[in-house]
Amino acid sequence: MSLYLLQIFNGVGIGMLYFLIAVGLSIIFGLLRFVNFAHGAFFMVGAYLAYAVSVSLGMGFWSALAAVPALVFVLAVALERVLLRRAYRLSHMAQILLTFGLSMILQELAIVIWGTDGLHMPTPDALGGVVEWGGFIYPKYRLFVMAFTAALAGLLWWLLEGTRLGAVVRAGSEFGDMTALLGHDIPRVFMLVFGLGAALAALAGVLAAPIRGVEPFMGLDGLSIAFVVVVIGGMGSFAGALVGGLLVGVLQSVLSSVWPEMARPVIYLCMALVLLTRPYGLFGRG
Amino acid sequence: MDRRSFMKVSGGLALGGLPWYRSFAADADGFPMGCATPMSGVFAEIGKYSLIGAQAAALDVPEVLGKPTRIVSIDSEGNPGVAVRKVREAMQRTGMRYVSGALLSSEAIAVGKEMNRAGGVAFVGAGADEVTGSECNRATFRWSSTTYGAIEQTVRPLARLMPQARRWYTITPQYVFGDALLNNAKRIFSEMGIEHVGNSYHSLTESEFSGYLTNAMAARPDVLLILNYGAQSTATLRQAVSFGMKQKMTILMAYSDGVTQFHSLGKDIVEDVYFGCQYWHGVDAPTNKHFVELCRRNFKVTPPYNTALTYISTRLTLEAINRVGSADPAGIAKALEGWKYDGLTGPEEIRAFDHQGLKDYYLMKGKPAAEVSDPDEMAVIVSSGESTIPVEQSLCKMAGA
Repeated sequence: MSLYLLQIFNGVGIGMLYFLIAVGLSIIFGLLRFVNFAHGAFFMVGAYLAYAVSVSLGMGFWSALAAVPALVFVLAVALERVLLRRAYRLSHMAQILLTFGLSMILQELAIVIWGTDGLHMPTPDALGGVVEWGGFIYPKYRLFVMAFTAALAGLLWWLLEGTRLGAVVRAGSEFGDMTALLGHDIPRVFMLVFGLGAALAALAGVLAAPIRGVEPFMGLDGLSIAFVVVVIGGMGSFAGALVGGLLVGVLQSVLSSVWPEMARPVIYLCMALVLLTRPYGLFGRG
Repeated sequence: MDRRSFMKVSGGLALGGLPWYRSFAADADGFPMGCATPMSGVFAEIGKYSLIGAQAAALDVPEVLGKPTRIVSIDSEGNPGVAVRKVREAMQRTGMRYVSGALLSSEAIAVGKEMNRAGGVAFVGAGADEVTGSECNRATFRWSSTTYGAIEQTVRPLARLMPQARRWYTITPQYVFGDALLNNAKRIFSEMGIEHVGNSYHSLTESEFSGYLTNAMAARPDVLLILNYGAQSTATLRQAVSFGMKQKMTILMAYSDGVTQFHSLGKDIVEDVYFGCQYWHGVDAPTNKHFVELCRRNFKVTPPYNTALTYISTRLTLEAINRVGSADPAGIAKALEGWKYDGLTGPEEIRAFDHQGLKDYYLMKGKPAAEVSDPDEMAVIVSSGESTIPVEQSLCKMAGA
């Protein structure tokens, strides 16, 4: 298999993980019009809780994959209830300040509990090793992440576009007062959406932990990638998050061969280009 | 302003000012020895271990010129501008004239210049050879081996150990430190007739290395030489192992953190990988044995490189002051120049010409995972030795002399 085909395939793998990191941020902004700078912190908390469940408690990766998103969902719902709900009607700048402060608190709490040293979370035994086929070599674990994220993307799309709950969420984001008058508990719906977005970030943290390790500043990296993806794809667009994630992943991977030193900076240049030519992103609405 | 408001403001100011007064009062006690290192931000891990080294040195040299040794912790925040400002403030506040610590390269150069300008001594550890090269000065000393030594003591012995490994691929961060390692590696490749089958540069913000590793696999090298550092080298190696590269080639990480990095990687990843290390706690040297025991007893840690370099640089500085019997920085700098002592790696020396520490650098190999029962003992020393850039090739001109 040619090097470029390998890089494109690898880019799809990277892009699916980027999609998972970004989709929660996109959903929260699209439906709640709320700028959540704590999104990267939920990614980081997900990775640390995965380490705690999987390694410290010895319950293994699969237990972490099931339990951690649920735990972070509860945490996010509690934070939304007592703190963030009050900021929905404030300016985006106030929301940024509030959620950035929250992310700093979560980051420092992680340092207090786990310290600053990087932690190692092993790949589950069943997914260790590589798949070899001709010249193609790829880690089994990354293949699993690709398949899992693709299935999750389908499930999320169905949840938001094909169910009554999804219809209420979409209606609530467009016509909140009208939807409330029809008898729907909009604050409760928003709370659940916020919890879902945070749980998706945590799920990305669980899946990323065996690939990149666990350390307290990974949230900042996750947040920057998530913003690049949603700016390129369009804030609030599910399809935009998917296409944006894949685009960034493939671009980064292919450039690793063509122009390696620019593989990372180019994704930010790409974001700037999209902002200049399509300020609402490839799939965003004005 | 009415009387009640005036009283409130005055009371508040008085209460607010009290800690400042206490701080100044406390600063008057003891002999101040600075430890400048990143204690917060993404490089906080460096500072945590570096400060322990300074505190350990203060236990060994509890008094300086009849005053109790007092470590002044300075959080450089990984930012050269902040580092210089805080060092300057500490000098004004405490009268501190000496500073040690593990710093980022840009911080080390900036702090060294500031100490040279303000009249002090900086004994630091940093990756950039400029500290004792083109940016050297009378006030700045460096314990860490040069990139020249790091590559000489890893690439050359590994190439001799595996004469059949003729094809090497490199992954390099694109900045001064990475280029220095790469250029030294290329020189050795050329001397030993090794084919350099490719290099992938990457940016300093990169955390996803699978694309670069795909390039490396496509080049089919015998050896993958990882030339980045810290969290980036951890991520590179972790991802290389997940791609099964350990089974297809030999992997050498030329500039590792040692024991703390091994903890972050885990024994399965460390197994069979070669590492270059500035310091190893298991070295059979009297000063090292004492130091390791001191750290384990008092701080409950097995000391990594950052602890070691701050310990030895702080201790040497304090001992030089006691030996000279004066706190005059120019005299202390003179006393440090050319000093031969029993160090953490065995006999060590501070080269008078450029203030570069002459010490061993280690090539290590990860033990089989099944044999690792103690997480501090994941690797063994394969070879060691001291190599420093020859005087005639050095760019040091001793500015500010």
